[in-house]
Amino acid sequence: MHPILARVERLAAYLAAWLVVALLLAAVLTRQGLTWPAALALLLPICLVYSFVCLSAWYVCRAAPLTTSGVMRVLASSAMAAVVVSGLWVALARTWMSALGAATTIGPTPEQYSRHEPLLFASGVLLFLLALTVHYLLLAFELARQAERRQLQLEVLSRDAELRALRAQLDPHFLYNCLNSISALTAVDPAGARRMCVLLADFLRDTLAISVRDRIPLADELALTDRFLGIEQVRFGERLQIERHVDAAAARCHVPPLVLQPLVENAVTHGIAGLIDGGVIRLDVARQQDRLSIAIENPRDADAPTPTRRGVGLENVRQRLTTMFGTDARLETRTDSERFRVELAIPCFTDD
Amino acid sequence: MTETTAPRLRVAIVDDEALARAVLREYLTPIADVEVVAECANGFEAVKVVSELRPDLLFLDVQMPKLDGFEVLELVGREVAVVFVTAYDQYAIRAFDVHAVDYLLKPFSQERLAEALARARKRLERGEQAPVAELVAAGRPLSNRGGRVLVRDGPRVHVLAMERIDYVQAQDDYVSFRCEGKEYLKEQTLAQAEASLDQTKFVRIHRSFLLNLDRLARVETDDRENRFAILTDGRKLPVSRTGYARLSARL
Repeated sequence: MHPILARVERLAAYLAAWLVVALLLAAVLTRQGLTWPAALALLLPICLVYSFVCLSAWYVCRAAPLTTSGVMRVLASSAMAAVVVSGLWVALARTWMSALGAATTIGPTPEQYSRHEPLLFASGVLLFLLALTVHYLLLAFELARQAERRQLQLEVLSRDAELRALRAQLDPHFLYNCLNSISALTAVDPAGARRMCVLLADFLRDTLAISVRDRIPLADELALTDRFLGIEQVRFGERLQIERHVDAAAARCHVPPLVLQPLVENAVTHGIAGLIDGGVIRLDVARQQDRLSIAIENPRDADAPTPTRRGVGLENVRQRLTTMFGTDARLETRTDSERFRVELAIPCFTDD
Repeated sequence: MTETTAPRLRVAIVDDEALARAVLREYLTPIADVEVVAECANGFEAVKVVSELRPDLLFLDVQMPKLDGFEVLELVGREVAVVFVTAYDQYAIRAFDVHAVDYLLKPFSQERLAEALARARKRLERGEQAPVAELVAAGRPLSNRGGRVLVRDGPRVHVLAMERIDYVQAQDDYVSFRCEGKEYLKEQTLAQAEASLDQTKFVRIHRSFLLNLDRLARVETDDRENRFAILTDGRKLPVSRTGYARLSARL
């Protein structure tokens, strides 16, 4: 939508400016021999028409925007447009003059009038160029506002994504169940309750500290995972068993934070928790030169249908691996009626 | 001289986590007129306990392996009052719909538990029973446990995978599920059974029969224009006029 036509008050101000222009031009013409009535009868209608013609400058601006077109192109197209439009305007004025002369007696004779044509033409060119300048300013103004709005939207989106990531990392139900365990332990095993409080505090602190970093040594992620499993073992008791094989060389590899913990959490909540007798979660971490491979496997309820859609946690891990390593990262899941397995392989970077 | 005391409340605790059971036991044990008659680690044990020990009240966890709390309620809800105990608040409305006595959010205080007990006593004094239809509706699984039918046989629970059911037959107040050569009776109407089954697989071929389409071999018509569905195992089930129309629409 045209920025001036879009609002009534803008159009009114624009037309008022043109009235001033018409009066000024009329004053000039009276100095050169025209009577005021003749000058006004000539200029008021054609200036009104020209004011609307000048609005078309908007489309010239849009066709040759300052940001993408060269200076020469802008100047050339502006000058061309101004000359053409002004020429047409003068032709229109001449037609109007002869009509006025034929109908009334106030109009100047065509000979008188033709003396003013060069002045009218020059004014037309200048006015159109002025209109172009105004429109270019309006366009720049609008673009700046749009960019600002887009920037704001982007900020909101990224803030939103961060929040969602944090929420996905910390399942509130994990906390509630954990607090319930502590509530139980306070009576039957006060020392155990205290241990659990410390475990939980350490886990929360580590999660928050780790999540703001870009990459961490795998050893740190493993430590966090151990704290998590320590807490879950208090809850599930004998039902949760862990088998862990970690290459010492692999622990020094750098990984994005919270890639392992969500996968282990899934193994507990979607695997062990669904089994009456529980089972063993297997965690294998190996390094072959510059590749790090991690596998997490858990038993699952054979009666439960195979999951059709991947959990939020898994998707989150996949996204972050792709962001960091691109096509060098591989994450695959395998599931049969009895077991679920996640394998991931990424390049291994170390400090040394 | 007699002293009027509230009748002793016999309760059972059902939770797959030992510590969660421990909290309830600790809270309940000192209360004079409450007796903890059993602790169950899963839904199957809960059904068995309800059949054999007839408790008045169950404290029932929602998220449990194999049978979740709502499924247990579907199976035993007519015989025992239920208080749900869970860390998840999203099932509260549903618990209210199925006439659970109360809904305790973990962790909870002794005072909150006392409130739940008071409610349970009121409910039991009025002799209110949970309505059958709502309970059956509650059997709609919570999470990803679709595709099966639960049938209670006294203290035992049979889990019938939907694809193994041949057909369902209405029998007075019951329906019988024919599954791998055996019949399982469930107190339900055929319409309720139909609603609980996969509607793309099961077709109402007759006022009294729901057929698993995978078991249909062919349809035969006798000389008196009666139609019959012949099953893959050779069995013969009647097909009504509207049943045939439904069947034709599917095939």
